[in-house]
Amino acid sequence: MSLLELQKELEKFNRASKLTLAVQDADDLINFLVSAREEVAAANDPHTTSLTLTKLQNPISAQLDAINSDLGRVHKSQNAFHKALSRSLKETKGTLPTDHDPMESQTALINRAIAMHLLREGQFEVASTFIGEAQPQSETSESAAQARRQPPSITISRPDTPPDAMITDADIPSDLTAFQSQALQEKFADMYSILTSLRQRDLYPAIGWARQNSTELEARGSNLEFELCKLQFIWLFKGPLVNGLPPTVDNGISGALKYARDNFGRFQHRHLREIERLSCAMVYAPNLTESPYKAIFDTSLAFDEVSSSFTREFCSLLGLSAESPLYVAATAGALALPNLVKWTGINRAKNTEWTTQNELAFETPLPRSMLYHSIFVCPVSRGQTTDANPPIILPCGHVLARESLQKLAKGIRYKCPYCPSEGVVKDAKEIIL
Amino acid sequence: MGDHESSKLDHENHLLLDQPLLQLPVELLRKNLRSARFEVEKDGSFVKETLKKTATDSVNGRISQQDVLKTLDSMITRMRGVKRKLTAFSEEENRLHRHEEARVKHLTELYGMYSVDDVKYEGWSRTRLDRLLTDYLLRQGYVNSARALAQERGIELLVDVDTFDQMNRIRQCLLNGSVQEALAWCTAGDTKKELRKMDSNLEFMLRYQQYIELVRSRSQTRPDEALAHARKHLFPYKDIYPKEVLHACGLLGMPPECVDRVEAYKELYAPARWQMLADLFTATHHSLLSLPPIPLLHIALSSGLSALKTPACHSIHPNSAAAPSHHTSLSLATSVCPICSTELNELARNVPHALHSKSHVEPDLLLLPNGRAYGKARLEEYAKKAGLAEGQVKDLRTGDVYEVDQLKKVYIS
Repeated sequence: MSLLELQKELEKFNRASKLTLAVQDADDLINFLVSAREEVAAANDPHTTSLTLTKLQNPISAQLDAINSDLGRVHKSQNAFHKALSRSLKETKGTLPTDHDPMESQTALINRAIAMHLLREGQFEVASTFIGEAQPQSETSESAAQARRQPPSITISRPDTPPDAMITDADIPSDLTAFQSQALQEKFADMYSILTSLRQRDLYPAIGWARQNSTELEARGSNLEFELCKLQFIWLFKGPLVNGLPPTVDNGISGALKYARDNFGRFQHRHLREIERLSCAMVYAPNLTESPYKAIFDTSLAFDEVSSSFTREFCSLLGLSAESPLYVAATAGALALPNLVKWTGINRAKNTEWTTQNELAFETPLPRSMLYHSIFVCPVSRGQTTDANPPIILPCGHVLARESLQKLAKGIRYKCPYCPSEGVVKDAKEIIL
Repeated sequence: MGDHESSKLDHENHLLLDQPLLQLPVELLRKNLRSARFEVEKDGSFVKETLKKTATDSVNGRISQQDVLKTLDSMITRMRGVKRKLTAFSEEENRLHRHEEARVKHLTELYGMYSVDDVKYEGWSRTRLDRLLTDYLLRQGYVNSARALAQERGIELLVDVDTFDQMNRIRQCLLNGSVQEALAWCTAGDTKKELRKMDSNLEFMLRYQQYIELVRSRSQTRPDEALAHARKHLFPYKDIYPKEVLHACGLLGMPPECVDRVEAYKELYAPARWQMLADLFTATHHSLLSLPPIPLLHIALSSGLSALKTPACHSIHPNSAAAPSHHTSLSLATSVCPICSTELNELARNVPHALHSKSHVEPDLLLLPNGRAYGKARLEEYAKKAGLAEGQVKDLRTGDVYEVDQLKKVYIS
């Protein structure tokens, strides 16, 4: 039975009797008691009292039984659904591998990944709440405010002792990593403060960043810088009543015009048409809402839009992947889990942990879109090539792992296992796939 | 093609992670009903017994008119209390039914998708990630973040903020050195019975801690208070917890200044005990509700990181088979691998890499004289974009330009 059939069971379960019936019966019981009390109080005569009380016993006990059978019916329908649920989950074989948790001691790293995920997904409110909460020392509101300005959970405490189950040949010097993450931390701090300004409708920091990186942005074909400047123009244009800036000559229409003169020149080449539209809108200044330019001047969503497009560009320039790694990893995890569960189920008796090896003991097929690296499996040794055992191309064009070639070779000569050609080992060259 | 096979969704097994999602509301419903029964049982039999007694007394003329009214009033108050509680249980029941319905609906949506590449699957999988994240945040005690995330993503019915919030509050009390709240949880309604069924030592350990605190502060409290507590709550269990009861007795005889010298007693006074109690409470809470003992995100991540990881992800050669370096990550270059991306790189260090039995490389590989190989299609497209002369190609990573006739075909078997 699959979940689809569970849906029917659920409908039945939802229709089945619930505790409301018991509430009703309890209410009836109270009414019996109340009217009996009134009777006793009204008559004020011992005979009536004892009669009333004696007569009351049966209805009360019947009513209590009614409540209990109400509860019994709820119990029955709960049991039925519980059984249906177990049946529908039965086809899902195995239990979750909870005995051994390689992520247990990695809270700092997981928190960092989550913070970065939330930031890149544009959930800034959640991210700021999270950074505040995950930051153990920020107790007072003041330090919480500080935490807002410089996201500290991105501070990574690298595990002091690297776990012993390591990839033999892949140790990046730790100081380099430390340096990289330090730089990254600062970048995200920048990003965060720019986004905070954006939320307070202050575009200047974002414009400053976009200008600094204009070459890279343009190479990526991004219009971010112009979009930001355009929004700044519109924002000034709306005047002090909307933007809350001081009513000086630098604000309102005059301020917008001045801003346009100072800044739009650089965009004339690429965005002439849009600049023209903005200038034309000036004419309609008294009643913009009625004008054809109404849509351009609607800023209700504009700040959110530039915020998310800024985040996207920012991540790309940092070389962070386009998709959230956390999303890809969790999805891949769900896809690979059945095989892991199967394997741990078989090996539970042997008490072997699946994380003690360098390589998984079972295959975890993922869709093509989740293969990010070229994978070369040596046709002779059936193992994947690594830094220590790289792929080697023979002059005939066939590729082997170096260790396999060394085993095949007799002295300095070898014969290709896939074609008749023979050669000298030193002619085989390392290949980067 | 084999690829088609690996992107097909195996619905039943794909929901391994999501079983607790459906199970928790059912567990909570059962608990809810048990509590309702407990209340009805308790106050119902009170009303029944009292009524019987009062009726007999009244017939025999042993009770005054006024006392009859008083008794009736007390019965009415009791039953009103029962009704109030039942109403609360009923509301909780409705809430849980809504949760279960939303969850079944969410999970069955998966049956409408057949491939991982389905656009709908991405949305579904994102919701799953949000669920996993919320679960993780709740378990870490970041309740506000969890609430904010659930709200932002509109998945309140798919996560159990309230259940964990309540748990976290009790846990926090323990960490702050107070056992009252946890004890109240242990003894509320029918939990006591359920805990006994599980052979849980939580209540005993909490009582034990109470005793330790009484002994610790014995100069301020009445000296026999600790002993009375021990008689009531510890000694009856001396067969089940002989070691603890023995230590408890010994502790009383220890002068406070000597405690630090004996390791066993020093441990009893250590603040670390509160952490232990908090963890014990959490574990008991989870197993009572059939919740997995570790965050589901941990399971998803350890499985996912392994499946995605290749030997290249932690390669010492920054420019080898690993992801293209950042400055050249053009649209032509492959997208940045999630394991190589800073977010997960360190995290993936302690998990094994995936096992592959087949090579996955670009089609029509060509070897450049510098030892790097690229697919023919990509080389040609890049040459066109870079505006190279006919018969020239450019290395996608290093930018070196070569003549086409310098290239060599690569055979991957």
